[in-house]
Amino acid sequence: MVLAKPISEYETVQTWLQGLRAQWGVEPDNVDARLDMLRHFCEFVERDPDAVIADCSREVEGGKRIRIKSRRLYSEKIAEFQSGAGGDARAQARTGNLVRSFMIHNGIFMQAGVQG
Amino acid sequence: MEFKEVVGRRRSIRFFEPDKPVEREKIQTILETARLASSAVNAHWLRAIVVERDKLPPEKLNQLKTPVAALTLDLAPVHIYFFCDLGIVKKIKGSRLRELVDAGALAPTHGWSHKFVDDFVYPQILEPMTNNLQGYLAAAMADCGGAAQNALLAAFDEGLGACLNTPNPMLTKQVFGVPEDWVSLWVMLVGYPAESWEAGGQRPRPPFEELYFEGDVNTPFKRDPEVVEKLKKANMIQAPAPLPGRMEEIRMLAQRLGLPE
Repeated sequence: MVLAKPISEYETVQTWLQGLRAQWGVEPDNVDARLDMLRHFCEFVERDPDAVIADCSREVEGGKRIRIKSRRLYSEKIAEFQSGAGGDARAQARTGNLVRSFMIHNGIFMQAGVQG
Repeated sequence: MEFKEVVGRRRSIRFFEPDKPVEREKIQTILETARLASSAVNAHWLRAIVVERDKLPPEKLNQLKTPVAALTLDLAPVHIYFFCDLGIVKKIKGSRLRELVDAGALAPTHGWSHKFVDDFVYPQILEPMTNNLQGYLAAAMADCGGAAQNALLAAFDEGLGACLNTPNPMLTKQVFGVPEDWVSLWVMLVGYPAESWEAGGQRPRPPFEELYFEGDVNTPFKRDPEVVEKLKKANMIQAPAPLPGRMEEIRMLAQRLGLPE
């Protein structure tokens, strides 16, 4: 699957980068590498970033709800993507956490456990 | 540690040293402190089941994880599950109130006697109270809250970190096979903090005057700045969060423990 536009132009990707800036008070480092890894994940699940986030939530009266089943599915996909990534266990954890960070800063609560 | 400083240092710790065991003596101290909490009619509704994370079969540990508390359950080496034993009042009837009369805690000076307990307090107040589930639950749980707070403070006094989480009540009852009339309340996660003891500073609180009143609800209790200064000197009121360097501390912990940023 090829994304229809550069990954940085997706709204959820901008939300992610803004979230990182706001949370940590500094410009996120290695932005290109982060975006590249997220792009690989999107190819892996064959969904663009906005669609990934849309899959995990739905609009209801009075706000948004997380779709528990979809979140679980993506959580498993991230774990699968992580285990297929290069490097040692720590490097693989960093890869998975990068995608989790994208989900978290878009409001999709997610935990992965200790991977240190 | 002085009492005021213990109160000032307590904050919900969410980063624990996952592999640093907690001494059994410290866990007992936490439980002993809970047992000494004030309790209405001396009933003592709080029950606790202590679990060493690494002794819990992995499938049970996974079963107990909620989406919000999965990570802290992995990090904390000791989990204390608190329950409220709703059956206790009917089991003990008025016997613990009679003990208080015998101990001189409840005395005729204040109208108390064995006969008052036997003829009036249990049959006309306590027993009917247990049949009004909504009111009874609120009273019993409030009582448990006081005991759990004692336990929390004891953990910090012992140099540990702790926080309360809400487990899935059905799963908790199932995993531990507790009696039907026990209500699942909280899990207190205990361990040595992986974060600094300040944990980023004292957490935000609503203004004092919004919470406490004098005489009526329209008159906020007047806060004396001199008292505030005294409490600051005693380390009860501490520097508010976020302290400088807190975000760097979290990032460092994230890298060390392999957590997302």
